[in-house]
Amino acid sequence: MELFNYLGIGFSVALQPMNLLYCFVGVFIGTLVGVLPGIGPVGAMSLLLPITFNSTPEGAIIMLAGIYYGAMYGGSTTSILVNIPGEAASVVTCLDGYAMARQGRAGPALGIAAFGSFIAGTLSVVGLMLLAPPLAKFALKFGPPEYFTLMVMGVTVLTYLAHGSMSKALIMAAFGIVLGLIGLDSISASQRFTFNRLELLDGIGLVPIVMGLFGISEVLLNIEQGIQREIVKTSLKGLLPTAKDWKDSTGPIARGSLLGFFLGILPGGGAVISSFISYAVEKRISKEPELFGKGAIAGVAGPEAANNAATGGAFIPLMTLGIPSNVVIAMLLGAFMIHGVTPGPLLMKQNPQIFWGVIVSMYVGNAMLLVLNLPLIGIWVKILKIPYKILFPLILLFCLIGVYSVSNSVFDIYIMLIFGILGYLMKKFEYEGAPLVLAFVLGPMMENNLRKSLIMSQGDFSIFFTRPLAAVSLIISIALLLFPLIPWLRKKREEIPKEETS
Amino acid sequence: MKNRDILSSLFWMAMGIGISYGGYALDIGNLHNPGSGFIFFWVGIFMIGLSLILFINAIREKGTKGELKALWAEISSKKLVSVMAALFIYAYVLTSLGFILTTILLLIFLFKAVEPQKWSWAILGAIVCTLAAYGLFKIWLGCQLPQGLLGV
Repeated sequence: MELFNYLGIGFSVALQPMNLLYCFVGVFIGTLVGVLPGIGPVGAMSLLLPITFNSTPEGAIIMLAGIYYGAMYGGSTTSILVNIPGEAASVVTCLDGYAMARQGRAGPALGIAAFGSFIAGTLSVVGLMLLAPPLAKFALKFGPPEYFTLMVMGVTVLTYLAHGSMSKALIMAAFGIVLGLIGLDSISASQRFTFNRLELLDGIGLVPIVMGLFGISEVLLNIEQGIQREIVKTSLKGLLPTAKDWKDSTGPIARGSLLGFFLGILPGGGAVISSFISYAVEKRISKEPELFGKGAIAGVAGPEAANNAATGGAFIPLMTLGIPSNVVIAMLLGAFMIHGVTPGPLLMKQNPQIFWGVIVSMYVGNAMLLVLNLPLIGIWVKILKIPYKILFPLILLFCLIGVYSVSNSVFDIYIMLIFGILGYLMKKFEYEGAPLVLAFVLGPMMENNLRKSLIMSQGDFSIFFTRPLAAVSLIISIALLLFPLIPWLRKKREEIPKEETS
Repeated sequence: MKNRDILSSLFWMAMGIGISYGGYALDIGNLHNPGSGFIFFWVGIFMIGLSLILFINAIREKGTKGELKALWAEISSKKLVSVMAALFIYAYVLTSLGFILTTILLLIFLFKAVEPQKWSWAILGAIVCTLAAYGLFKIWLGCQLPQGLLGV
């Protein structure tokens, strides 16, 4: 009964005209950045963050969340029609989606991707709604040692899942922590690494760092490589899948939804891994595995359902513990903080309108996405045809205005440009940006909880091993750090599909 | 030897040394009462350790000849440098020239720099895009953009 009351609050928030507009703008832009290769949800969220300053916190989060799950929908369009994944989570959709398009079945491929995404997205929101409240109650028992070790585990898992060398990913995470702590010390108020710049007293902003690392650097790489797009010429009629398509897709959608949701909850886990695992599962249990890669509709339905369900799952650690599980959710945490709201176990009690409003808006958003993805497919195809030489100046312009308008400071533009160069070099030298951003967001919380834990235990480190949850988190982290030293585990790590953000 | 990893590990080692020194200078404190430089110091040490591992692995691994040069082999570095230079100049003159003028000039340059468009297209495109961005951000969303010479 309590759940229905809360749902009532959620609907009253999500259905307010302004919030409906925010939701629509979010899913529309999400689909757009999903369709366009070269700009990801993180870049788009940081671009639009300044726009939300005048809105209510729930309006802001509704829009930014819409960008995240909207991008998962949009990514499939580019994969199916161009064979270039609009999003990393849609890489696997290229295999069978593009093959279907070449066989003249682009319509059913796009249709099942949209329907599968809708069903999975809705199921994951139901899961989020049912699982988040008991978890939040449980999380109330956590103290600083649990929080500190959970955050250490989150960063460690993400570095474990990063591309290439784990040492490089850990260096990035360490650098992210340092960047996150620049500014005034929250306890002693002493200036730390501010180099006597007034602009650095409040620390470096999340937006210039993210836009530099994921926006500017991506543009530089695209200018250098040039994006070649060849849209498959096929009929887009008959978007509704046939009865046989539905029969072949129902199982994959159900399995993909479950898999995606639970993998999305895990720190570092997310849309990319779940889409790959879903594809592998479907291929393994299929009666006709030889059809995979040649246009099997299950190879589109399963992964597309999984990557959308993962977005719902990823909200659980944020809403219940206040800990982001991946870099996109870290951006959302940043948005919560900017609006003066602290996500975590108390969010549901202190701000039920935000908690339930955002959850219900995701139902609404999923329905909007279905409407956007089917009838408007022609528009997305036209957008795909915009040449990059016209698109990149506009992306740069949005980055410049977006960063400037956060604090009306040219200094932030310089920071963004410096991180743009750094991000470009990082890609050249095979360093990943995601661990840096997650550690940047978590850094101040990690320091705070570490210092509190040490003060609590009077300097005794055993506090992290004597409390069960803290001990488990720390043991998992240490194990993950040691895994690459064992050759066959190192090989296994290299086989895991990796999370990318742009 | 993997030259690119040697180079980057040395860079991060230097950063680690700088960060741990900065943390030490700030006051590390002790385990009972960690100071404001505590985390910086230990994270810096951690970075030094990791970059050492990376450095040793890079020396042991087999790299390819001319690996560093190959990173920028088939690209036009002139385009990249000119785009970045234009963005830095944009930031430098933004407050004095104002949003509209600076943005039009930047966009004309960007439309011409990478894959040159016709002058008429570049100028018209730059003006239309700037005015659209001004309308969206300044008029509709109420963002503050530098007024500069034109006073708007």
